[in-house]
Amino acid sequence: MFHPGVTPRVAAANDPQMECGIQDNVVPRQSFGDLDRWMERYQQADPDAPAALVGAISPALLRFFRSQVASREQADDLLQETWLRIHRVRHTYRPGEPVLPWIYAIARRVRVDGYRRTRRVTLHEIAMELLPERPAPVRDRNLGPAFDTLVAALPEAQREVVTMLKVGGLTLEEVARATSSTVGAVKQKAHRAYERLRDLLQSGEGAKGAAQ
Amino acid sequence: MKCNDLAKALSEEMPLSLEAQEHVKSCKRCQELVKALNLPVAVESLPPATLQQIAEGIATNLRPVSPVAPAGYFLGGIAGIFVSIVALCVYRMGALAIAVMAPLQTVAILTALAVSTGLLAYSLVHQMIPGSPQRVSPRLLPVGIAVSLTIVIAVLFQFQHEQNFWGRAWPCIRAGTPIGVLAAVPFWLILRRGAILFPAMTGATTGLLAGLVGTSVLEIHCPDLDAWHILVSHLGIAVLCALAGLIVGLAVEIKGYAVNSLNSNHKGHLA
Repeated sequence: MFHPGVTPRVAAANDPQMECGIQDNVVPRQSFGDLDRWMERYQQADPDAPAALVGAISPALLRFFRSQVASREQADDLLQETWLRIHRVRHTYRPGEPVLPWIYAIARRVRVDGYRRTRRVTLHEIAMELLPERPAPVRDRNLGPAFDTLVAALPEAQREVVTMLKVGGLTLEEVARATSSTVGAVKQKAHRAYERLRDLLQSGEGAKGAAQ
Repeated sequence: MKCNDLAKALSEEMPLSLEAQEHVKSCKRCQELVKALNLPVAVESLPPATLQQIAEGIATNLRPVSPVAPAGYFLGGIAGIFVSIVALCVYRMGALAIAVMAPLQTVAILTALAVSTGLLAYSLVHQMIPGSPQRVSPRLLPVGIAVSLTIVIAVLFQFQHEQNFWGRAWPCIRAGTPIGVLAAVPFWLILRRGAILFPAMTGATTGLLAGLVGTSVLEIHCPDLDAWHILVSHLGIAVLCALAGLIVGLAVEIKGYAVNSLNSNHKGHLA
């Protein structure tokens, strides 16, 4: 039974069958409220703040990177790089402002740099010599298959918006802030993404992924 | 309600209306879409050791920092720098154009320049703080402002066929360009207080703003009212500075990711 307006994350958290591998990692929306306070304490050099922030936000950030890049290894690297940058520019967080768009904006920049780096390495290294054919990527058994496979078919900008909305749990306003965009532009991207998803489902591509 | 309306309703934050829910019940395509959007998302587990490693990495030498000043503070700073440089330059060079322009032309062109400056300053102040709200797309703003000013100038001034066009244009370009370059320095000093995530975009915006300082000085100083002259040798300075800012920003971006690439290959990990 579907529940209109319920995000996958919330649906997963409410579904007892999905408890395994989800409940421990998914950060409920209400706990994000504490992040603002932890961020302020982080700026004041509270030694407990880094662990609290890293523990609360990293699963969502990892998910964000996994929806955009291929391997878990790359996503781990990007996660570490994001925390380094967050640490470097932590003074730019203004107390009272929502912390999630601030973090996702930095993560987004890290992802762009990561993408360029990977592309450069791929261009250079493959051109030098012929590499043995890569084995087909094996999906991690713990990884939720359906939603990922479905959004993978979307263009990058739409995938980013849908991931932030449905997986990150950000509001439209927060996504707009994180992507240096306007709320109207975010709505438009989400609208186009949903239309495309519906077409994909009808044509069967998405349904195949969902059935996995 | 049609399927298209449902996609629109889903992109809003509000729960689906009764009408939309009825449509979902009766339409198989939309049912599939809603089902798919509600598919569970499992999150890959992060080993506690990794989380601890990251937390310990950033907790090393943790020092208190002061949050950046409010946006209004920077906005005032940028406006102050803009007005000060224009006033200083006009004081030295003279306000010859004010005497020859019609009052409507004077008011309209100065208003257009002031609005453009305000919008660019607002955008810059928000670009320097990650996750700041944007009312206008920062990617489109520099282009939009350049096009708008071109239209304003084309409407306000007459196109004439001047003899020795470049001979008259060159002194303006030579006088205005250093003013733009000079103005970019204090703007950059303000911007470095924040975190620039997209240097190319911010570079183009800063360049255009700095160039508009030169354009404003020339608009007040230069008595040549030919539209071609104003477009090429006055507004052209702003466009040139924007391009220079874009190039500098791109260079910073390429250098930045090359350095990051080096770090992640050799020593980038927090451990």
